[in-house]
Amino acid sequence: MEFKVRDYRAEEEAHSLTRVSVSSHPLCSSSSSSSSLSLTQDLVSVEFFDPLRGLSTEILEPVEDIAVAQKHASSQSTSHLSTKEWASFNKLLMQRFPVPKMISVSALSSKTIKGKKAIGELSTNMQSDDLNDSEKSAERGFKTVSQQEYIKRLHELKDEIKRSWHADDRVTSLKLSIKVASLLMDTCVAQFYPTLFVLATDIMDMLGDMVWERIKEKAEFADDGTKICNLSDDFEANSICLEAKETCNNWFRKIASIHELLPRIYLELAIFQCWRFLRNDIMDNLMRTVMMIRGIADPLASAYCRFFLIHCAQKLPRHDAAHLVACISDQKIILKKIVSTKQTKYGNFLGDLKLLISLMEPTIEYTMRCIFKDPNQVADMIVRLEVGKSPSELHGKVPWISIILHYLLKELPTEVVCSNALEFLNLIDCSSDFSFDQCLNYKMLGLKVSEGIDQLNTVDAVIDEVIQAATKRKILNEYLKILDAYMDVILHYNMDQSLKSILSEIFERLGNEVVTEDELASLQSIVVKLVTHFDDMKYVFDLIYFVDILDVMHGSSRSIVSMHILTNATRNDRIDDPTTVKLLFDVAQSLHDNVDFSNTRQDDNQHAERLVARFIDKVDHGIELDRHLTFLVECRGAFSSMNGLKEILVHSSNLLATKALKEKKNNLNFVKSCITFSEVTIPCIPSFARQLILYLETAEISLFGGLISHADGLLDSAVCCLQSFYMVDGLRKSSEDVDGIVSLTRKLCSFLLLVPGNLEQGAMYIPKSILSLLDSQSLITPKLRIIVLCSLLSLSATFAQTELPYHAIHEEVIGNDRLYLGDAMYSQELRSLSGVILHNMVDTIPQESSQVTRGKLALEACNCITTFVKVNDEISSVCSKLMETAVSCLGGDDKYLQSTINFVNKQSPTSVGGE
Amino acid sequence: MSVEIKLSRSNRTYRPIDPLAGKIIIKSPSSISHHGIYITVNGSVNLQVRGGSAGFIESIYGVLKPIQIVKKSVEVQPSGKISAGTTQIPFSMILNDRGKGKFYETFHGANINIQYLLNVDVARGYLHKSLSATVEFIVESELAIFPEKPISPEMVFFYITQDTQRHSLLPELKSGGFKISGRICTQCFVSDPLVGELTVEASAVPVHSIDIHLLRVESIMVGENIATETSIVQTTQIADGDVCHNLPLPIYVMLPRLLTCPTVFAGSFSVEFKVTILVTFQTELYTQTKSDPRALRKWVAMESLPLELVQAK
Repeated sequence: MEFKVRDYRAEEEAHSLTRVSVSSHPLCSSSSSSSSLSLTQDLVSVEFFDPLRGLSTEILEPVEDIAVAQKHASSQSTSHLSTKEWASFNKLLMQRFPVPKMISVSALSSKTIKGKKAIGELSTNMQSDDLNDSEKSAERGFKTVSQQEYIKRLHELKDEIKRSWHADDRVTSLKLSIKVASLLMDTCVAQFYPTLFVLATDIMDMLGDMVWERIKEKAEFADDGTKICNLSDDFEANSICLEAKETCNNWFRKIASIHELLPRIYLELAIFQCWRFLRNDIMDNLMRTVMMIRGIADPLASAYCRFFLIHCAQKLPRHDAAHLVACISDQKIILKKIVSTKQTKYGNFLGDLKLLISLMEPTIEYTMRCIFKDPNQVADMIVRLEVGKSPSELHGKVPWISIILHYLLKELPTEVVCSNALEFLNLIDCSSDFSFDQCLNYKMLGLKVSEGIDQLNTVDAVIDEVIQAATKRKILNEYLKILDAYMDVILHYNMDQSLKSILSEIFERLGNEVVTEDELASLQSIVVKLVTHFDDMKYVFDLIYFVDILDVMHGSSRSIVSMHILTNATRNDRIDDPTTVKLLFDVAQSLHDNVDFSNTRQDDNQHAERLVARFIDKVDHGIELDRHLTFLVECRGAFSSMNGLKEILVHSSNLLATKALKEKKNNLNFVKSCITFSEVTIPCIPSFARQLILYLETAEISLFGGLISHADGLLDSAVCCLQSFYMVDGLRKSSEDVDGIVSLTRKLCSFLLLVPGNLEQGAMYIPKSILSLLDSQSLITPKLRIIVLCSLLSLSATFAQTELPYHAIHEEVIGNDRLYLGDAMYSQELRSLSGVILHNMVDTIPQESSQVTRGKLALEACNCITTFVKVNDEISSVCSKLMETAVSCLGGDDKYLQSTINFVNKQSPTSVGGE
Repeated sequence: MSVEIKLSRSNRTYRPIDPLAGKIIIKSPSSISHHGIYITVNGSVNLQVRGGSAGFIESIYGVLKPIQIVKKSVEVQPSGKISAGTTQIPFSMILNDRGKGKFYETFHGANINIQYLLNVDVARGYLHKSLSATVEFIVESELAIFPEKPISPEMVFFYITQDTQRHSLLPELKSGGFKISGRICTQCFVSDPLVGELTVEASAVPVHSIDIHLLRVESIMVGENIATETSIVQTTQIADGDVCHNLPLPIYVMLPRLLTCPTVFAGSFSVEFKVTILVTFQTELYTQTKSDPRALRKWVAMESLPLELVQAK
């Protein structure tokens, strides 16, 4: 068998493509903008209400309705949004308070819930001349009803109301609705009240809509069904016919005759928009209703009643905010009464005051949201709410209640808060009651101020006040919570003095007590803000007490802070300050020690590992290469649990060796240390594939440094590694791993070209080891085998050339072409090795079970053989056999087969194979 | 075979000078002959005396003779035939064509009932039962009937304290004291709500409820005596529970139709109205047995004011 003689230089020239210079990078495609556009469209959340899309669904209606539909959509869009808002708010409301399974209810409501459909019973309510209260009082005391039963009954009532309405029995509908509204008088249901409210007002809304539609129909159509007029959305009351007015009046009269105050208000509110049929200006009526709610002494019932009023007022086409301001001011008076009570209970409410206020909270939130909904009216609202007046100016008026103040701050536009920060601080300072944690108001202000950080004036005064207020707090967590909200401002304006005083105060307080989880969380937030603010970690570490505070922290907060520190530190190109490196090393170590490698989520661990890796990567000791190696050794010791990190360490040490080699020649010992470091570190890495890569890399470095014996040792290890891979990983290797290892084996083969033959173990020692490895491992698939065999064949063919295609850089490393120049033994060895490979190939192909693969492998082998070996009779018979296999497996028409035949024919003088 | 009357106005409300118009609708499966179709208007004041101050007279008199306001009959169609199916016969008549006589407004009280009925009769001779139907219509008088009276929203101020009460109060109410002040309209249009304002200024005992009672005072001349009875028309709660002090509460009471009418002073009877503000205080005494609703209880304070109702133009 003879190898073909190759002229690599000529081949490269012949095969390389002609190169043309281009003006733009092919990967910078200009069409990227269009693709990103489609991406953003997909990301649009479903929750978002797009008025344009809403319109498009209406266009699906008959064509003549388009104009009406469009008009409807445009004029209703604002109210539509508020309906949606109302619905989502209600949904939250129902989920907000955990409701016990059993609810205690008053005797009166239990009658409604449990009672049969005895509507007659209720008639006393309609026109009650119930001067005598003894009947009611006889039923005092509470009963319990299950939550399910209660809700079921409400649904039943709703169905009954709907049914009787459609059966033209509107009196029954009204009576049942009154029954439902009366349930809202009963606040002993406590946590269930919000749910009850949502369900009951749903019924009220339904009734209101039905009445509205009925009167509208009366106004638009005559008795005999002929159309009188078409009411626009902003119709005038004088365009309504008398008959419709009469019906409308009757509804209001019927409702006005309800004895009890609360159901009367609810029902009037339910049909409130119907006032529009009677008169144009109905704001007086609305204000009268606001005033009427004052008559409800129960704070919970009145708060929710106001809430419903605000909801109903939003259905009106024009509404100013007078009713909102009045509602808030009445609410303030009631809250004032609650917070100043000396008792633990208020009125008839059974729960404690905290529960009472928390149940009222959503109504306050909603009211404030409505007040500041219109950005054009903010200034007007501020004046009307008398926000600007200081407590002393209020002259006996009710000061701000902290819970109201909270929602005021929350809903006010940022710029307003920022430009009056000091005034608001004053307000917060003055409103300290149990309705809302004062700290959280300081915090809310802080958040608002941070949002509009650049619009803030009187920064120094504000921060001084805040620090003073916070320092007054005895509890550490309160101190931290308040200051946390202002950290952004302090950092933004570089208020070093304040920062210093805060840090020293924190440190002092930390020393005095055991730090709780909550406090750690607040501390964490402060420290993270501090860390992320500064670009240079050196500055942060230099802050007085910073490192000491860091030491006090522990657990997950510590880890989170450590991660932030590392993230921030590695944002810079290089970390070279020795103190910073040392401190960061400590931070990284604490992070490493805190990570529970057996337990916590994989993602977190990987994130921590990546951060440490980045830190190691960014550390730069400049020309002090020894120190850097020491650093790497320290890292290996300190971060022993992070396996991925070891790879980085090996790469780093290899890089270090390369640097040393490039710089000067007389530091071979240092290079040796680096290589030894790598050699020792590689076996600790669990994946054999990874090990193999690193072994090859390190071997390359050692060859680069002329350390042939090191390279030999590393290659030995690599072959062992390959063996272990097949043995250990063999059974559970994925195709990806296998592909990887195949390409690594090929890489190994191409690297072997550089390595001078080992005189003791023979020049072809490693290729032979690989060959025997193939033989010993029965699990290796025929396909893999052929690929590796092809590589080995090409390796031996290349070794047989008089000049190798490439050589090692180091001048002391002599290539095999020069080492074995004219050595007959060497050539003989190569030939015999190739013979073995050839046999192996021929034997392997039939083992492949899949017919198609078998055919392809035959062609593969055939191509490989004819590429590297001179075609003589022996070879052409081998090739013919392979061709026959291929033809039988793939059929004669296969394109690959055709091109292989062409190729083989070109290579040999006599034709091989055939049809 | 049926007959019904459909009035031209859906609220069935007419002034005496208005034409009372409408349709007689006769539905019949076969054609029928008749001796004329007549409509009759009958307005009267029905009086009865029971209980109350006239207790002893009641046994003697009971129901008094009604006072006739109007009785008028008109032939809508002379005798003839009505074809099968639905027949509509329009009619129209002026109630007060002579321009005199008092048309009191419709009122449904406890002892006094002022009612106007419209009757249709299809006379069919002695062999057949005559077809008939009756419908009540409501009369609203025009202002002109009464002496011209300037209406100004006159507000009357009132104070309710422990000292203004004529009945005995609970000791704690008497000693602790309370003050509820306000103002209320004492002259108002029947079509408008009764409005006012009320403020709890002070109260040692928590308020349980504040109600506005609308009362009617019906007086009937019985021989030499006048029998007067006061009864409640409507109760409206304006405060439920111990409301915040010094916060004005609105008084807003819509007057129920038919159950109220402009104040009437006729020779033999009169209908007047009163408004009572009733403040109930919280007490443990509710468990007491049911007593006469008009008896004044010790935990209740009140103030009554006369209320003059006037018809709007």
